[in-house]
Amino acid sequence: MRLLRAELAKLARPLTFGVAAAAALFCLLLAAGGTHNAMLGAQGAPRHLPSCAAEGVPAGPQCSRWRAAARAGLRQSEAEPAQVAGQLAPAAAGAEAAGLIASLPGALAMALLAGAHIGGEWSGRTMKSLLTQHGRRWQVLVAKLVSLWLAGLGLIAACWAALALAGPVLARVNHLPAPHQTIAHEFSLAGSQVARALLVLAFFAVIGLLAAVITRGAIGTIAATAGAIVAMLAVAALPGAGPWTPATWVASWMGFPAGLGSVTALPANFWSRFLGTGAPPGQLAGFAGLACLVAAGLAVAERIFRRADISG
Amino acid sequence: MTSAIRCEGLTKRYRGVTALDGLDLDVGPGQVFGFLGPNGAGKTTTMRILLGLVTPTAGRAWVNGRPAGDPDGLARIGAMIEEPAFYPWLTGRRNLEVLALSGPPLPGPPGQIGRMLAVAGLGAAADRKVSGYSQGMRQRLGLAAALMREPSLLLLDEPANGMDPAGIAEFRTLLRSLAGRGITVFLSSHLLAEVEQICDQVAVLRSGRLVEQGPVAGLATARARVRAVVDPADQPAALALLAPWAARPDGPDAVLVDRADGQAVTRALGQGGVWPHQVVLQRPALEEAFLSMTEGTAAVNDATAAR
Repeated sequence: MRLLRAELAKLARPLTFGVAAAAALFCLLLAAGGTHNAMLGAQGAPRHLPSCAAEGVPAGPQCSRWRAAARAGLRQSEAEPAQVAGQLAPAAAGAEAAGLIASLPGALAMALLAGAHIGGEWSGRTMKSLLTQHGRRWQVLVAKLVSLWLAGLGLIAACWAALALAGPVLARVNHLPAPHQTIAHEFSLAGSQVARALLVLAFFAVIGLLAAVITRGAIGTIAATAGAIVAMLAVAALPGAGPWTPATWVASWMGFPAGLGSVTALPANFWSRFLGTGAPPGQLAGFAGLACLVAAGLAVAERIFRRADISG
Repeated sequence: MTSAIRCEGLTKRYRGVTALDGLDLDVGPGQVFGFLGPNGAGKTTTMRILLGLVTPTAGRAWVNGRPAGDPDGLARIGAMIEEPAFYPWLTGRRNLEVLALSGPPLPGPPGQIGRMLAVAGLGAAADRKVSGYSQGMRQRLGLAAALMREPSLLLLDEPANGMDPAGIAEFRTLLRSLAGRGITVFLSSHLLAEVEQICDQVAVLRSGRLVEQGPVAGLATARARVRAVVDPADQPAALALLAPWAARPDGPDAVLVDRADGQAVTRALGQGGVWPHQVVLQRPALEEAFLSMTEGTAAVNDATAAR
């Protein structure tokens, strides 16, 4: 615990606060865009369904199918403002925050923090000082990992706080209807997503840790971590690779809907929109895949770090 | 009594370049030990091995009777390797607090960090951010960090770099007082005049090999030379008589003989019928002795400088 306290003390630095502020700002901008788009969508939706003849759809079963689809679209447009208002309710906003941080923006923020917090020990030549105080390298590695993971949780907290404060204001400014949901429901929604995000943040942190012990520098760690995340998403988009990539495991575990469109409404994540629309591997498979990757990544990082000469 | 440091056949190779080549070393406790050698001789590599930062390719080392790098033994070692590095966004005091938290609890009553900052002469600047420290102040902070666990062995690599003359003098006094309290100081420095004043023993390393170890005065004495002043007319005869010692002229009326004693020189000259006016034993300074022991290492230094 002493070592973890030391690592947390090192994280109290301008860069960490800057990354947290950037994450909060990013969440705010998305919320502002999402509420505005929801309002525009509701205003632009037709009040009544046009007839098949008016739309040039032939009568009969084709018309029935078209009317059913159009009715569903209309219902969705009508429900969207309330849904967005519900997402931005102070307690429920935790789910939105967890979804955003457990996806690409959070992964890139974690890459930055990993570079500064872990890779920076090599670049700043402080690793030798640290290891002459504490010679058990695996404990140093675990303390680094846990502190980085806690920093990731801090990013969710920063995003959640920003959304909780600004959400009701944005909903009022954009004339969104009251969500009519209980606070218990809101907390349950947020709690479930935040709990799921813990594993994804651990996964991102392990990638950062591994990148640091391999590249032994701040810039190399940031580049390698970000590169690994982007490569993961690119591989997941390949046909046939879907269910067997870490990116789809993240999406399945977090329950991200497959094949999201562009950012026209408040997104729950910045992850599944990069993936294909194929069948996800399932939540349990997602959990198992991520848990195995975290354990394997930590084991490999420990092996590399245990044998590494600290010459900087 | 257990040696503070013992190395047996310590070897380290980096991608084909030999940084350390079968080093055997024994450093007794409670002394100030100078570890000398030109750049790239293997001094820092040795210190890193002793601290467990670098794994030797071959050979073994012990520190305070424990295998080098043993995590439990590190608490008894204070170290400052090359230019000390700190977290620039933290104050000097906070840096030490973080380092203290990284290892076992500090010995002694509360306030140990403040005391060590004062000992290192940083009391007034302790609460300033390290990013604003000069190199000398960083060296002092490194010294405070090395001392805060009240170690029985101090490993100091070029500790006086960047210090002003007053700081160096304070530092010299501090090291002597530490040795007086039974702490072993293992010191690498290029300031040979300082080493000569501070150290009890020195070892000289060249291209990863130990070339000499012994008391400072002994090293100089081993390289003592004899200067015989003769009549200018007798100088050629004196050079011929002393040829077995590779004598050389020194001015118009003197002859220099390396590694010889005065009696042998006097006898050889007298037996040849050359009677010297003076026979003087000259002891070179440590710097001169060091240069004579490490000459010819420039090429090696160039090859290893990239490490």
